Amino acid sequence: MLIRALVISAGIAVIAGCAAPTRYIDPAADDGPVAMTMDYRDFEKAASDAVEDMLASGAVNNPDGGRYVMVVSRITNDTMQRIDTDQLTKKIRVSLLQSGKVVTTTAVGLNGAEDEMTMKARELRDSEEFDQSGVQRKGTLQAPDLSLSGKIIQRNHKVGKEQQVEYYIQLSLTDLVSGLAIWEGETPIIKRGSDSSVSW
Amino acid sequence: MKILLLASLLVLGLAGCASQPETRSLSERQNLKVDPEVIYTMAVTELFEERLAQPDGTSLLHVQFAVEARSDTELAWKVTWFDANGMVVKSVGEGYRKATLLTGQVRYFSATAPHARVTSYQLHLREPKL
Repeated sequence: MLIRALVISAGIAVIAGCAAPTRYIDPAADDGPVAMTMDYRDFEKAASDAVEDMLASGAVNNPDGGRYVMVVSRITNDTMQRIDTDQLTKKIRVSLLQSGKVVTTTAVGLNGAEDEMTMKARELRDSEEFDQSGVQRKGTLQAPDLSLSGKIIQRNHKVGKEQQVEYYIQLSLTDLVSGLAIWEGETPIIKRGSDSSVSW
Repeated sequence: MKILLLASLLVLGLAGCASQPETRSLSERQNLKVDPEVIYTMAVTELFEERLAQPDGTSLLHVQFAVEARSDTELAWKVTWFDANGMVVKSVGEGYRKATLLTGQVRYFSATAPHARVTSYQLHLREPKL
């Protein structure tokens, strides 16, 4: 009985010892293995490419001075993965905001406002419970000048004994005055790996 | 006499408070930093920088570099941006960008500063571990 207990304990200890320890990964120095699915490094690359190209091309330079107001439109996820496209758009938004050239409105969106509080706060208008000097006046919201839209596409191929997964991150920046796409970009991310790897 | 001395000390004290904070570098920062492992397999043949004029009168720093590979190899590179005080200016990407080079191939890479206040940069080339 004692021997059996000892053997089981030793077995558990060995298994626990073999498990990789949980550790923090520094995104600034990550040389870790690549996944066939899209990971944070892919979104970072796509966002970097997009923002640098937007800044270098002059597309986000407002000729009247000041900052453009951008709204995030639809980013279609045409992949086999469940992707929150905010992983991509948030990086772009933050970077454009930090550049001082573009500010994003959260008061307008395809599926309603991203931050509903903008309108909710206006419902306090004429309420006797609130000091009206602090309540937002009419006609203060700023309409967007630019719209960011895009699509993430995935294509899988069998290449010899390996699998090739292609992702295409396509983005367009539309001038809402003219409806013209004043900037467009595509970042291909191609991965090749074991055929048994899963890409969804 | 004592009043004059006190007044002088007060003036000096106020002047000291009003001085601008200074930043200083402990060692000279190089624009190009290439790891020894990379030097064996490739050479940096060009490094250019220019400022892209903006309509508001400011400009953005833009750098471009070229590498020529002596053998098939992998490269990881990253540009860190600095303002006039030597402080890092954040950009969208924190990680290294990876590239593959074929023997004899010359590849050109470029990067644009995230803000007009960027005045200098450091380009780091290294060999990715994987």
